[in-house]
Amino acid sequence: MSALLAAAALSAVPTLVGKPAPDFALRSMDGKNRRLSEFRGQVVLVNFWARWAGDSRQEMPALDRINTTYNRAGLVVLGVSVDEDWRRAREFADAMKVGYPILFDTTADIGRNYLLRKMPMTILVDRSGVVRYSSAGFKSGDDLAYLEKIRELLRE
Amino acid sequence: MNSKSRVISIVMRSTILAFAWTMGPCSPAAAAPAAAAPPPPAAPAPAPAVAAPKADAAPGADAAPAASEEPPAPGTPATDSPPAEFKTLDQEVQGMKKEVIDLNKDLFVLQEELLFPANTQVAVYVSMDVGAFFALDSVTLKIDNKEVKNYLYTAREADALLKGGVQEIYLGNLKAGKHELVAFFTGKGPVERGYKRGATITFDKGVGAKYLELKITDRVTKHQPEFKIKDWD
Repeated sequence: MSALLAAAALSAVPTLVGKPAPDFALRSMDGKNRRLSEFRGQVVLVNFWARWAGDSRQEMPALDRINTTYNRAGLVVLGVSVDEDWRRAREFADAMKVGYPILFDTTADIGRNYLLRKMPMTILVDRSGVVRYSSAGFKSGDDLAYLEKIRELLRE
Repeated sequence: MNSKSRVISIVMRSTILAFAWTMGPCSPAAAAPAAAAPPPPAAPAPAPAVAAPKADAAPGADAAPAASEEPPAPGTPATDSPPAEFKTLDQEVQGMKKEVIDLNKDLFVLQEELLFPANTQVAVYVSMDVGAFFALDSVTLKIDNKEVKNYLYTAREADALLKGGVQEIYLGNLKAGKHELVAFFTGKGPVERGYKRGATITFDKGVGAKYLELKITDRVTKHQPEFKIKDWD
């Protein structure tokens, strides 16, 4: 019974899986502007993170390792900070020393479009621009689930 | 046809299509729109492809009919062509497909007319010429002191503008009368310095669509970029 209730609760959570990923253009830490739709044809992992979300600190190094391994295979990793204070977010990102682009969504508009409900949140977008996977929060072992999905999408 | 009658026409057509689809393509309802389609073959059975063996044929003898020994006359249908009922079904499906495409087109036109009626339409375009003194980063548009658009350019988009591309940055509606458009351009100016400039235009919105163009050009004599707004009357 409790499993049924849990399943019903999960199905009630709005999700973007199966829908086209809302496009966005954001300024990145290196000064360049990046637009999601320009990565059409590649598999894109979008990771929404915030300084105040403790799990982001664990997740970002794991994503950096994934990026290093699968970048040449056609994977693009984008980290999107939803912190209002982009300067402090920048300091945090500097300290994390990740190799993938970090973008700043200071107005939280993009976060709203992506129905963020828990931080950090990771979205996988396939080569045709459709959201195929969404995961809220991060715990040890979640990166293995990401890897499985990424391999599947890269093979398509 | 005005918008109201067009809406009624579209709703009716979509209802018929939905009904036909629910009933299945073989049903009479589905067949109704395709009135021009030929009726299914009548009761008389088609000629058998293989003639029945004659009673007096010798046992073990080849029972193939005489007709099959002759090559088919040019232009006659091959004996393995799909049966007539499949042809009819295919025509019905094709007819329905065409209806759906027509309906989709009408809906698109209607949506454009309702959302952006030509009488109140205002379109703003961005173009860039040369760009030696300015690298575009973003454009913010304000109409009557209200921000209506903030567009961030990627390197690829800025490059497309430099190659002669024209971008429709804003499409909206305004009442007839006087209006003010302010455009803020940010980017990198000469010697890689941060650059922010504005341009303003006051325009009269009359009956009919209004087209405005934000033009970024180089003023060679001053070694500075120049920002203008052109009103295409």
